[in-house]
Amino acid sequence: MPSADLADLTPVPAPVTKRRGRGRTIGVLVVLALAVLALLSQGLLHSLNYFDTIDQAMSARAKLGTETIRLEGVVKPHTIDRTSNGASFWMTGGHGEEVFVSAHGSPPQLFQADIPVVVEGHFTSATSKDFYGTQILVKHTASYIAAHPKRVKAPNGSTR
Amino acid sequence: MIKTLSQRLLGPVTLVLLALTFWLGLWVTPPDKVQGNLARLLYVHPAIAWVALYVSFGTAAIASALYLWKRTRSVVMDRVAYCAMEVSTVFIILTLITGSIWGRPTWGVWWAWDARLTSTAILGLFELAYLALRRANDDPDLRARRCAVFAIIAAINVPIIHFSVDWWNTLHQGATVFTENGNLLVHGIMLWTLFISLFAFTLLFFWLLRARYRLEVLRATRYDVALDEALAQRRREGVH
Repeated sequence: MPSADLADLTPVPAPVTKRRGRGRTIGVLVVLALAVLALLSQGLLHSLNYFDTIDQAMSARAKLGTETIRLEGVVKPHTIDRTSNGASFWMTGGHGEEVFVSAHGSPPQLFQADIPVVVEGHFTSATSKDFYGTQILVKHTASYIAAHPKRVKAPNGSTR
Repeated sequence: MIKTLSQRLLGPVTLVLLALTFWLGLWVTPPDKVQGNLARLLYVHPAIAWVALYVSFGTAAIASALYLWKRTRSVVMDRVAYCAMEVSTVFIILTLITGSIWGRPTWGVWWAWDARLTSTAILGLFELAYLALRRANDDPDLRARRCAVFAIIAAINVPIIHFSVDWWNTLHQGATVFTENGNLLVHGIMLWTLFISLFAFTLLFFWLLRARYRLEVLRATRYDVALDEALAQRRREGVH
């Protein structure tokens, strides 16, 4: 015969469950939200444009002064002079404007003539077109061309 | 029968295509005129990014939308969204890692706070937040709805990432295949290898999604079985 205690199937309220797991999850969400805000601040505070082109910089030359910026241009051929602590070269913009860059630090391995580069630094004076760079970055294009182009010809007859 | 055959072949075909991609990418394709052998990452990084942003996240967002629509609401849609988001998180982390590996020798830095990279990192954080939100509530329907809404809001980031290289000055290159004027900027065997890699990694996603979905179904079944056993045990205790 079952005892009176064991036969009692009256529903009992569930014990209070600890909220540790949920609190931890909310904590993770808060941390992630702060991380997103921190990332967004990088864009909002420092402008969504990573660099200014030479033409843009020249248009805003008076306003820029000697402020630290990133300047983008194409390395002019036959102007590269590598020194023991960096390199100097001329950089051209889309409309022919030229800037002389004297950069400190080793350029990346792809640095060469006719390649787009982004130089972080500042103009040497409020009116000068000479630019002092602290870092050179190479902005490679979206084109991929085989190193041995004569193997394949494009339909229009050009060599790839 | 076709469905079973395709399911059985998905894994082997994926592995064959991945092997083909690596063989072509490492040995057959020529080096790039400017980047040299560094350009071989062209057959890995874009494909992983393609899967992360469009295929896997797209699957999660669409499944989330279908869950929120009453006509198509089902536990299947919720599970597909969750599983796809998990796989997408892995792929977006791989996108950032392979991108850094490529960026260091080409750009000269591991990382740059330009619009493309920053917005991609933000999407990665959104995905981690989705996975955390998934654990915040035990009620299945409430959890599914909250996560579905979150996934759709996070999807706003995808077009921002895609067009970031056009809207702003970015260090990251522009499009090579989906260019504004429709011109392809890669040709010959390099282009074909790129297309094979896109297809191979897409199949890899579906293979992983299928495996992850089956695991999720097993987990839910195990929970239901455990619940039934617990109830049966309770009843037995009451009878003695």
